[in-house]
Amino acid sequence: MSERVRSGVSSAAVEATLKSFLARGLPEVEVLAKRGRSRRFALDGERTASSYAEERGWAVRAGDRRGSLFACGTGDPNPDGPWPPAYPPALRLPTPEPPPPWKEPSDFEVPLIGEREGLALLEGIARELTAELPRGRVLSATLEDGSSEGQITSSKGLAATFRGRLAALRLEAIGPGNPRPAVIELAEREARRFNPKALARRLADRLAVGAAPGLEEGAERSGDLLLAPAVAARLLAGLAPLFFGPRTDGEISAILGNAVRIGSEAVTLLDDGRFPGGAFESPIDGEGTPTREVTIVERGNFLGPVLSPGQARGANPTGAAGSRAQISGVARRASFRDLPTPGPTHLYLRPDPKIAVGSLLASVKIGTYLIDALGPARFDFATGSFALPVCGLAVENGKATAPIGHAWLSGEISDLLRGIVGVGRDLAFLPLDGMVGSPTLLVKGLVLRGR
Amino acid sequence: MPFSSFDTAALARSLAQLAGSDEDWVDGFFERTEEIELPPDGEGPGFSIRREEGFAVRLVRDRRAFLASRDGIDGRSFSEALRQVARALPAASVPEPDLPLGPWPGAPGPPEAPEVVDFAGLLERAIRAHHTAFPLRLTVRRHRRWLQVATPRLVPSPESESYYSLSAEIPGGRWGTLLPQLGRSEAEAVAGQLVELFRARTALPFSPRPGAILLGPAAVAVLLHEAVAHALEADLLALSGKPDSAIGVALGSPILSVLDDPGAAPASVRRTTDDEGLPVCRRWLLRDGVVEQPLADAAWSRSASTLVPGAGRRAGRHDLPLPRSHHLELLAGTTRENDLFDGAERGLWLPQVRRGTLDPRSGELELLFPFARRIYKGEPAETLGPCAIHGRLADLLGKATAVGDIRRAEGAGWCAKGGQKLPVWATAPSLLLEGVEVTR
Repeated sequence: MSERVRSGVSSAAVEATLKSFLARGLPEVEVLAKRGRSRRFALDGERTASSYAEERGWAVRAGDRRGSLFACGTGDPNPDGPWPPAYPPALRLPTPEPPPPWKEPSDFEVPLIGEREGLALLEGIARELTAELPRGRVLSATLEDGSSEGQITSSKGLAATFRGRLAALRLEAIGPGNPRPAVIELAEREARRFNPKALARRLADRLAVGAAPGLEEGAERSGDLLLAPAVAARLLAGLAPLFFGPRTDGEISAILGNAVRIGSEAVTLLDDGRFPGGAFESPIDGEGTPTREVTIVERGNFLGPVLSPGQARGANPTGAAGSRAQISGVARRASFRDLPTPGPTHLYLRPDPKIAVGSLLASVKIGTYLIDALGPARFDFATGSFALPVCGLAVENGKATAPIGHAWLSGEISDLLRGIVGVGRDLAFLPLDGMVGSPTLLVKGLVLRGR
Repeated sequence: MPFSSFDTAALARSLAQLAGSDEDWVDGFFERTEEIELPPDGEGPGFSIRREEGFAVRLVRDRRAFLASRDGIDGRSFSEALRQVARALPAASVPEPDLPLGPWPGAPGPPEAPEVVDFAGLLERAIRAHHTAFPLRLTVRRHRRWLQVATPRLVPSPESESYYSLSAEIPGGRWGTLLPQLGRSEAEAVAGQLVELFRARTALPFSPRPGAILLGPAAVAVLLHEAVAHALEADLLALSGKPDSAIGVALGSPILSVLDDPGAAPASVRRTTDDEGLPVCRRWLLRDGVVEQPLADAAWSRSASTLVPGAGRRAGRHDLPLPRSHHLELLAGTTRENDLFDGAERGLWLPQVRRGTLDPRSGELELLFPFARRIYKGEPAETLGPCAIHGRLADLLGKATAVGDIRRAEGAGWCAKGGQKLPVWATAPSLLLEGVEVTR
């Protein structure tokens, strides 16, 4: 019986597959093998569902200077194929680099949440919500707890292993006098970190505020804005495509108003694939390149876009923003079925440990505290505008005076980072395109509008 | 068929061990999928192939469902999955059924899909025939799926589906479609739609004006999917009451008769059973505008005797089935195409939909159109920019005043209900609606 490595795929099959492509004259070969286990629980009205899934698969990228191919499948790869033909474009795999030292977090070893425990967690949230908000009701709740492990081997000498752990929670609830449900989506490394009481309180707040009248059509509300992490993170996620992948100064300048000075002094934006405790914490990315902390914006100055090694080889070196590009392991690979796709890993705005949210709130004379987003942000890079549906509280002299059930936070994209005048210490991440995090932000110069 | 050598009797006996009573629903779901993809020129890798096989075992007891799924198919894994789903461990060990798989089609040669490789060239020539050219980023995919469902009492024949999906980016925006076949005539039809979208990029901004609207068959397909199929899925109906209480409710104009008939879908995606192994039927969702039979899977049909199963679909082995439509049909009317245009004089011709969404709780429907054409002297005339319809679905369906007499098969597109992405198909004529507000 051949040795089975971490991925559960036969190491002999992986080696033989690598050799078979080299024998076919394709010098660039990468074989990924991965397996995962997950438990999924769902509450939907009076119905419950409990699932256990085991996935085990492999993927091959191979090519030369003329063409390339990608193949993946379940089980073990068959070195004899049959393999698809190679078509342009060429493939050049990254040259392996040894990752800096990294200590595997101990919670990677914690067993997946059990069936009773998982359903009890969801039922607990439903119960707590009813206690927090009479006639509040969880409409649906889904919890998924999973772990994965695997290896990447390449003809360039890469031989790396990886592990991951992720729990995702989605809650949808409805409250009295509010036909619009509140939705919360969260991700943690381990399902047991979800706190039913805190989640129920957050849902109850959202439902209570959401039941209030919204800003009327055509109405505007100015003043300072305090953006809770759930709102600020969605705005950052909307900006993320500008910071990942090849960009020229001209493109950045057209959208953000300047190629370098794009934010206020309070803005320092980072991406870190090995963010301690992060849901995607890993020493390497989906093609084996070491991850690291990359500063994208430092005190308001854009230092350059983040590129994976593959993007860096194809980027136009004459573009100024391209020449400032920072190469890092940002190629994400959700499963063996997926090709490595560069994007945020843990993208976040650096918090200020000295600033409590209370002090930011106290500094608002007249303004609005936006506690949550009601839907996805709309970013239009062609027109340079954005809009995000939000709910929150009117604030006067640091005190909440009235709820605002629905409004649109909108304006010019170029004003977004420039308007940040205060940053709190309560950094929180949301599962958006990657994990995107922000502390509470105090912002000036943006406007709230009715529909 | 990859599953033709399965020992189905042994499979059924194994599954029978899970059932504690006649009320329990138990099934085994085996699938093999293949996706071949050719990305846009210059974007790598050049050719992709994804081949998967796996299975799931499911038990539904009362209102609880239990599922165990695996990648790969073998007797030992199957036996393990049975033990995971069992609520009480069987007294005897679960036997491992013999599950030999047939070879992949085309083996032992390399997987080939000449129609996928050739399509970009056919499309380019077809676009040129419109005397225009524009940058086009085209991704072509071929999807194939083979299924075998087994229950303790019934092991239906295996099913298979084969179809294509296209996604394109052009200066006028993004565009996508599903096609049961890929060839010259499909290239010509796609070229026509892309050229229309490209030319619409310089259109005047949309300005609302009163008048009728005429939806083309592709737009009707999306409308039916959102406003009729989703609205009549048992699980979504349950969000606002008992699913069977919808039966007999007038949901639309009496000229609308809508069916879901997987057996009448294009040949390569035609089904005789659903993803739970139950026979599909010619299901009248609306008869003369009145709800007759909502979409239900096995679990929902057990909660109400008037709900008929046969519409359970799942994106894959790791997902639980949900009530979904497969192939929607709007019965043809008697109005000729020319008369429909005459009836919408000074109104709008809306041949393509960019996106449709339904909020099942409120019944609010939104259809976004990439462009509109003003109808003048019975013909589509000036092109206007993007526009939208918002409203309650019953209000909208109630405003249908005429149905065309010629139906066209259309891929209504991908539906991602509950995170499960599935292709949905439709056969529909054009539809005239009056009194609908179209906004910018």
